[in-house]
Amino acid sequence: MKLPLAWLRDYVDLESSSEELAQRFAMLGFPVEEIGHRPKLSGIVAGRLVTVEKHPNAGRLSICTVDVGAAQLLTVVTAATNVAAGQHVPVATLGAKLVGLDIALRTMRGIESQGMLVSANEIGFEEDWFEDGILQLDAEIELGTDVVSHYRLGDDVFDLEVTANRVDAMSVIGLARELAAALGKPLGELDLSYDYRHGADETGSALVEIESSDCRRFVAQRFSKLTVRTSPFWMRVRLALAGQRPINNLVDVSNFVMLETGQPLHFYDYERLAGGRLIVRDGRAGETIATLDGEVRKIQPLDLVIADESQAQCLAGLRGARSSEVTESTHELLLEAASFVGARIRRMSVAHGLPTDASSRHEKTIPLALGEVGAARAAHLLQAEGALPYRPIVVGAALEAPPAIAVTAAQVQALLGMRVSDNEIEAALKGLGFGVAREGRGFVATAPLWRGDVKIREDLIEEIGRIAGYERIAPEQPAVFEHTISSKKYNDERRVAHAFAATGYREAATFSLQSAQPRERYQTAGVELPGGVLEISNPLSEDHRYLRFSLLPGLLGLVTRYPSEMPLRLFEIGHIFFENAETAGAMESAAFETAMAAWLLAIPKRDEPDWRDTGFIEFKSDSLAVLRTIAGRSAEAVSGTQRELHPGKTATLLLDGVDAATIGAVDPRLLAAYGSDARVYAGFLRLHDLPGYRVPRYRAPSRYPAIERDLALVVAPEIPAIDIERAVRAGADGVIGDVRVFDEYRGPQVEAGKKSVAVRILLQRGDATLTDTEADAYVAAILSSLAERCGARLRE
Amino acid sequence: MTNAWPNGRAFDFIGGTPGSALISQLTDQLKALGEQLETALAAAHDLAALEELRVRFLGRSGQVTAVRRGIGNLPAGERPEAGKTINEAVSALERSLAEREAELQGRALAAQLDVAIDVTFPAPPARSGSLHPLRRATEDACAYFERRGFAVVLGDEIETEYYNFDALNIPPDHPAREGLDSFYFPNGLLLRTHTSPMQIRTMQAHPPPIAIVVPGKSYRRDSMDARHSPMFHQIEGLMVAAGIHMGHLKGMLTGMCRAVFGPAQAVRFRPSFFPFTEPSAEVDTTCPGCAGSGALGDGANCKTCSGAGWIEIGGAGMVHPDVLRESGYDPDAVSGWAFGVGIERIAMVRQEVDDIRVLFENDPRVLEQLA
Ligand SMILES: [Zn+2]
Repeated sequence: MKLPLAWLRDYVDLESSSEELAQRFAMLGFPVEEIGHRPKLSGIVAGRLVTVEKHPNAGRLSICTVDVGAAQLLTVVTAATNVAAGQHVPVATLGAKLVGLDIALRTMRGIESQGMLVSANEIGFEEDWFEDGILQLDAEIELGTDVVSHYRLGDDVFDLEVTANRVDAMSVIGLARELAAALGKPLGELDLSYDYRHGADETGSALVEIESSDCRRFVAQRFSKLTVRTSPFWMRVRLALAGQRPINNLVDVSNFVMLETGQPLHFYDYERLAGGRLIVRDGRAGETIATLDGEVRKIQPLDLVIADESQAQCLAGLRGARSSEVTESTHELLLEAASFVGARIRRMSVAHGLPTDASSRHEKTIPLALGEVGAARAAHLLQAEGALPYRPIVVGAALEAPPAIAVTAAQVQALLGMRVSDNEIEAALKGLGFGVAREGRGFVATAPLWRGDVKIREDLIEEIGRIAGYERIAPEQPAVFEHTISSKKYNDERRVAHAFAATGYREAATFSLQSAQPRERYQTAGVELPGGVLEISNPLSEDHRYLRFSLLPGLLGLVTRYPSEMPLRLFEIGHIFFENAETAGAMESAAFETAMAAWLLAIPKRDEPDWRDTGFIEFKSDSLAVLRTIAGRSAEAVSGTQRELHPGKTATLLLDGVDAATIGAVDPRLLAAYGSDARVYAGFLRLHDLPGYRVPRYRAPSRYPAIERDLALVVAPEIPAIDIERAVRAGADGVIGDVRVFDEYRGPQVEAGKKSVAVRILLQRGDATLTDTEADAYVAAILSSLAERCGARLRE
Repeated sequence: MTNAWPNGRAFDFIGGTPGSALISQLTDQLKALGEQLETALAAAHDLAALEELRVRFLGRSGQVTAVRRGIGNLPAGERPEAGKTINEAVSALERSLAEREAELQGRALAAQLDVAIDVTFPAPPARSGSLHPLRRATEDACAYFERRGFAVVLGDEIETEYYNFDALNIPPDHPAREGLDSFYFPNGLLLRTHTSPMQIRTMQAHPPPIAIVVPGKSYRRDSMDARHSPMFHQIEGLMVAAGIHMGHLKGMLTGMCRAVFGPAQAVRFRPSFFPFTEPSAEVDTTCPGCAGSGALGDGANCKTCSGAGWIEIGGAGMVHPDVLRESGYDPDAVSGWAFGVGIERIAMVRQEVDDIRVLFENDPRVLEQLA
């Protein structure tokens, strides 16, 4: 909210700079978002127009003589048309500084002007918020008074934030109280004095009836003998500094009291209320209200309305109706200073799209005690405007006695970790308006009526800490203690992330909220979804309506967004979401989400035969390396299947025979849907099933030389390399140091319906040097195993 | 000068001792050989030439062998004397060769030192992977807490209203509950708006004392702009034990800030309000962009902190007694603190990223740059 320091100074002495004050407010919990600096003004004094005459040489100009309290009258020429003798106006004297101009002696059409009469924009106010022409000062002002300091026109304006629990501080007096307490200064008092006249028509329920318990309390007060007119200049200045446009004395008093006390008010033209009374009730279907902003609004049963005997006259806490609007012909007025249940006002404000200054306070539930304060302050101000106040009447809940809370300095220290003396505690609480009594070793404190947020000892200690200052809390390291909470999930995730990074993959972080596009692309491609896609009921935009059902779309999006001639290696770790028949009715979060890692290799297209995919082999190499790092042992790739991946180019990676991950070439239909012409390979692993890391064990390498034999075999094309390798091992169990299929060929050089593969075998004994003769015998055994198990024979 | 016969002892002996004419002849031959070798060595400039000389002089059918054959012509009594003379001469020849060899090797090595390449010639990029800046920030922060005995736990992103709100003392009429800030599903579940539900879940599953941090994604209905994102990352911290106070909170947050930003960081608390902590505070730390001065070297306002000298990194406070009670803890027996800090904020400040969207665009050039 905007806090003009000019207004704040009505209630607390300010000596510090704006920056220091802003710092003070921040450390009290009211961060100042912006310090609005006012223009530098000087040399403006209060004057009275003695004579106003037309300029003899210029019809548009007037020559005024002005009494500024000095021995000599000043002669001032003005182009303004709203001037008349007897008016009190601001006069910029020679040497004065205004917005964008310095005043010097000037001759206008032959007449010397000894200054200038001032209008709103020349002192930094919105022109159309004030008189069209020269500003009209209050008649009480002494002539010659320095206008800038009298009305505090040069004081800065803070824009500060008030937390949701402190509706009492959404006011000048509330913030003044905080500051005074922090500075140890006295707090000025609101002037609530006025004389009311007794009348016959002041009984409560006759005037106001509360039908809904969402109206907690209603203070009503009638005023008569009103004259609607422009407010006094001092009040208009306060409002303008606070960002409120001055309208007329009634509207202005209503805004002024809200800003100053925190109690929103509403004024009804009493003579226009059917039955002369108000009823607070639920809205009725079919009702409408034409509000002051010119809208005709449908009323719902959700709405709380304040109605007369025939129709709704106000949407509670939001805005009043035209039908009882205060106008220049209003003579009898009814004031409302109410407290509603905040949640209901907030729902109404959202439903009607009608956030107002009043609703921003009402939706936090106005403290009950504020109603009488707001009404009295209004009565004081209206009486000054010539109105006659009736006696206020109060309907609704009685004021609740705040709880008495006991607190000791030791308790303060135990919670805040800082020492606050008894004297400090007492001064802090008293400064904030608490009742404080010493009792035993500590105090019993009673919160002021407007501080409903202070309910328990911790609340009270916070108040003490705020005033003492959190900067006094010294950082301290707590002792380390034993507990049994596991960090397994985090450690698993970290292990996986580091393994990918170590293997040359870059981690991406894509959005879990997505548009419909990924799902549509999968459907276009004919690729099955894992389950029902979860949809947000209240999305902010179509871009973020659905939850991701796979990590692949996010990564594929990056492949198409950042095409490259260089291989692109990416990984992401995150949750995916979907529902299926099992989880459809579940109400626990875990049912819908799975922690996954996905990784991807994208390379430009390569020219190679259909039966060969070197990109896949590279990707497999990476993937096996990652699993080795994660698990501490080597995985084995066998043929597998997985939606999103090419059915003929998918492998399951097994660790000790258990599925650990799936890798493969991305389904070409999906790539087509994403418009990618790269070769893209992807892998997935579920973090929940992540194999544990097994510390590798030592096995002594053979100290005897190995004999290497290469075999060129002819075999049926469907026999996978892993079968050939297994057959080799089976043929010479115990002496295979290593076996690897290292080349494959299909084509005219090999007989039709066959492929040729080259196998490199390392024969090695752990206990003695292998002789060539022994090696020959082993190779013979290997060949017969290959023939038997794979139908393979040596290539001629 | 290169003297292949450094002390000349063999010749002194041979020349100074009168012997038979044959011995004298032998001595002359050997002396001549020595002079020949010296001349040849001076002309030999590589190891291959040296090897050739070795064969020519000392090889099986080399010149020394030819001299040695002449011993047979000597009287038996003089043969040992002649043999000794020859052996000494051979040693001298070998030494001479070895010295020249060492010299040539030394020159060859010296010549290797004489070359230079353009070390600024660009290297092709090594294949390297990286962790996302958000993970690096998370790990740096969590590592500090792990060193202090905290467990790092993870939670789900879909939550119930109970864990996200009710149990955290956020009543049903709180603005956050009414679809203003949270993403809801038709079944009433929602995307967690903070990592705080894990406070309740952890406390309900484990008796005190506990000390955890919870990194993870959270979601709020904020439109995407340079500073806001509907998806963001937080680290939640929770410590509950007997005798825990707000000074411990400041101590641990100071340690965390030093771990992620540098050793000079300080932490400041500003009073604030959160329903699940009492007292509550906003957490500021020294602006790393200007070391807390608010100004840059040229006197301009620091852009990172807009001149404040502090940056806000999250909210914190002492766990509200209602939250402890709801989790089955006794607020009279234990107390605790909790905090939530923004990981994006940390990553952005320390890596000078000025737009949160950069973190989610994953431009490979940027991923590489920030790694
Ligand atoms: Zn800075």
